[in-house]
Amino acid sequence: MTKSRAPARRRRAASSGAARRRSGGPTVRRPTPVGPSGRRTTSSGSRRKPEPSRAADATARRTRSPGTARSRRRPQAKPKRTAPASSRLTRAEQSFLEAMARATSRKATPETPSPLRAVSEGPLHIVMVGWEFPPDHSGGLGVHSYEIVRELAQLGHKVTFLLPEARPHWEVSGVDFRAPGDAQDRAKTPDTEPLRAYVSPETGTITNLSEVADFYNTWIADLGELGPVDVVHVHDWFGTIGGAALARREHAALVVTIHSTEYDRSLDHPWTDILRREEHGIAQADRVIAVSRHLREQLIRRYGAPPDRVRVVYNAVRPAEGPASPDHRPPTVIYIGRLAAMKGIDTFLKAAARVAPSFPEVQFVVGGEGPELPHLLHLAASLGIADRVMFLGRVSEAERTYLLSHASVFVLPSVVEPFGIAALEAMAAGTPTIVSKTSGVAEISANLFRVDFWDVEEFANRIAELLLYPALSKTLGSQGREDAVREGWRERALETVQVYREAIRDRRST
Amino acid sequence: MTQVVWQLHLHQPWRLGRFRYLDLGSGRSYFDHPRNLEIFRRVADRSYRPALDRLLNLFDEFDEFRLSLSVTGTFLEQAREAAPDVVERLQALVGTGRVGLVAETYYHSLAFLMPPPELREEVELHRELLRQTFHQDPRTLRMTELAYSDQLARFAEARGFRAMLAEGWPGILHGNSPTYRYCAVSAPTLTVLMRHFPLSDDIAFRFSARDWSEYPLTSEKFARWLAATPGDFIGLFMDFETFGEHQPAESGILEFLTHLPGAVRSYPQLAWATVDEAAQGPPRDTVASPEIVTWADERRDLGAWLGNDLQRSALEAAQKVGRLVRLTEETELWTDWRRLLTSDHFYYMYVGGNPADRRVHQHFSNYPNPFDAYANYMNALTDLRRRALAASGHPA
Repeated sequence: MTKSRAPARRRRAASSGAARRRSGGPTVRRPTPVGPSGRRTTSSGSRRKPEPSRAADATARRTRSPGTARSRRRPQAKPKRTAPASSRLTRAEQSFLEAMARATSRKATPETPSPLRAVSEGPLHIVMVGWEFPPDHSGGLGVHSYEIVRELAQLGHKVTFLLPEARPHWEVSGVDFRAPGDAQDRAKTPDTEPLRAYVSPETGTITNLSEVADFYNTWIADLGELGPVDVVHVHDWFGTIGGAALARREHAALVVTIHSTEYDRSLDHPWTDILRREEHGIAQADRVIAVSRHLREQLIRRYGAPPDRVRVVYNAVRPAEGPASPDHRPPTVIYIGRLAAMKGIDTFLKAAARVAPSFPEVQFVVGGEGPELPHLLHLAASLGIADRVMFLGRVSEAERTYLLSHASVFVLPSVVEPFGIAALEAMAAGTPTIVSKTSGVAEISANLFRVDFWDVEEFANRIAELLLYPALSKTLGSQGREDAVREGWRERALETVQVYREAIRDRRST
Repeated sequence: MTQVVWQLHLHQPWRLGRFRYLDLGSGRSYFDHPRNLEIFRRVADRSYRPALDRLLNLFDEFDEFRLSLSVTGTFLEQAREAAPDVVERLQALVGTGRVGLVAETYYHSLAFLMPPPELREEVELHRELLRQTFHQDPRTLRMTELAYSDQLARFAEARGFRAMLAEGWPGILHGNSPTYRYCAVSAPTLTVLMRHFPLSDDIAFRFSARDWSEYPLTSEKFARWLAATPGDFIGLFMDFETFGEHQPAESGILEFLTHLPGAVRSYPQLAWATVDEAAQGPPRDTVASPEIVTWADERRDLGAWLGNDLQRSALEAAQKVGRLVRLTEETELWTDWRRLLTSDHFYYMYVGGNPADRRVHQHFSNYPNPFDAYANYMNALTDLRRRALAASGHPA
């Protein structure tokens, strides 16, 4: 409706002190079963024939002797372990400071000839530094890192996947999961504490993200022998310090994927600590991956990332299984995602209020949880549509898949949306989709409606048009689906490997 | 002797402005009048004026030069407002007595897919417009986008036309050459003149294509190709806007136009002719086309306008609204409805798999994608439906 709403939102976000509210990080809950049954879909394997580059990888994998790579490496000195301290926090703080010193001072690392393998082809050992992990993820980071790891393993690469919290039943074929306090840790240092000690027993949420990140980074930097490592791949800011330290220690290339920036998450009121960590990761990385062109430009403009080092690797989706026919969908208009200020859900509710009277049979649905929930509930009531909007709270993966494939319209009105993987999932399910013009997903498809994030009237128009004209809804849905599934995670993984090889080549030449 | 029949088509649609769902009932105009006139003025500067001036000079210079024109009603409406001098230039051209006029639907519309008597009325409207503007009664008909079928041929014959234009598409020629006169199997007195699409598209589509093996195309080279083409006539049918708009002036297209009559003159076996003159000989064979053939896209069917659900549903909605509009006597409603029948609106809604066709559709579209085009169109039509219901005394 008016452009003045955005600043109002920024003010609100700026006044928030809750770390979890401003972060893209997880809302960690008490142990939830994680395993194949909890994955987003049960489909497996590749949809496409092998691409030439993938075939080359496979060939290289077959012809390379398992011991060849290792034999060219110098034996690594076992990293010095920090002495146990009486207090866990003190030990973590000490280790963190040491890791910081190693990571930020090149002089602290002995100059050694690069032991990097000739990795222009052939399998790599990748240490993926993760944060969220399906199904307990709250954004694209978790999905992206999980899917890429899965594909990398299938391509024959060795993957060690680091996560901040050990969970039972982790199982991705060919991937070695590690987390603080896991069995391997306990075998060496029985007093290692798992991350869950930081979870508030009252709320089940992390209360101080910086502390958690420090703990995680310390653990990463102090990881024991991992074998020869080619690439350390970090996502967003969480593991940048530990990841950079690990990469230096292992003489491996450092790749950082940015899924969203602190500027975006905070609506331009960044939390300095997080910003510092982002800047550190981007500055240290041999290659930076952005999940959209729009984000790439931001990294260059606001973070000073050298343009020749920033690559774009989009998100992808697995094709939805059996999306509902457009003729058999209940008239629902949905948003699914975190209930965060940057998601612009105010606009969704205001647009809903604009069209609701003309479409009495339509149900508006908001799926997900987050700090904005109380505000949104209040807004729905004040707009007089409390009885027309259903707030679902947390949705499981199965529920999410069902909702996305049975809705009449999916709306993603984000103020800032570096990619918007939920929109791609909706499109893959044949659901006509409306996104804000700032969404990165619009870069890979023209078969969706793009609206200015502040333009309530236009969101209302587009929602009404999709509800009113079945041919429009059907055609946009089917065309969007074609775009969404044209390239999958396999293609994204191959692009990522290409970035790894560039990073390794550059690191070796310096 | 082979006749060279050069038929240029002048058309501008009344493009819609953004008419949103929330604009229903607002009384806003569906059409972006200022923008339409602005576009017309731009095309007039780039194409109509320079090309018409050159053609007028050619008529002075070459007595044997002949030309045929089709000018839509919506073009003349806009021209009178945006660039009256363009109308004067056209009148001067027709005034030479060596220009044949071709009748069609006034609104360059899909009237032939509407229930009768829409097609008849629109063609009569256009005929009358040509009589008033150019004082000439056309004897040749071309249907919107060169649509042709046995049924349309019967219509043309019944309306007193001597000839009809069609795409020289192998699908209806069955191995025959498009360079001979045919008579319609469904209308024995109607001569069908076929477009020679390879030679026509050499100018209209390929002229400035640098990756074309024949690039650059000179008038001498083209005249040589014409001279080497046997037959009664060669139908070069194309958009007038080819000269300066589709093919920009920088490509040399206007110089090509200027030099073509001179190049043709050097071949005694070639002679210029209007469509009416070309239709005056005996037909070589009959031609049958149970289905509609057009000059658009690779398949030359109606797919460019009715190839997907969006387009079909829009046409269906337009038909329904038309029935309501016809119940009223409000000229404004009729005009709006007929402007909404203009084929361009449906062309913008193309969602095709063929990338080459998609590029062409997008090139001519004023929307970012076909979905915007459809939603906008349907909103306007929905509003028109409400107005028609109100005007005919029904509750909206």
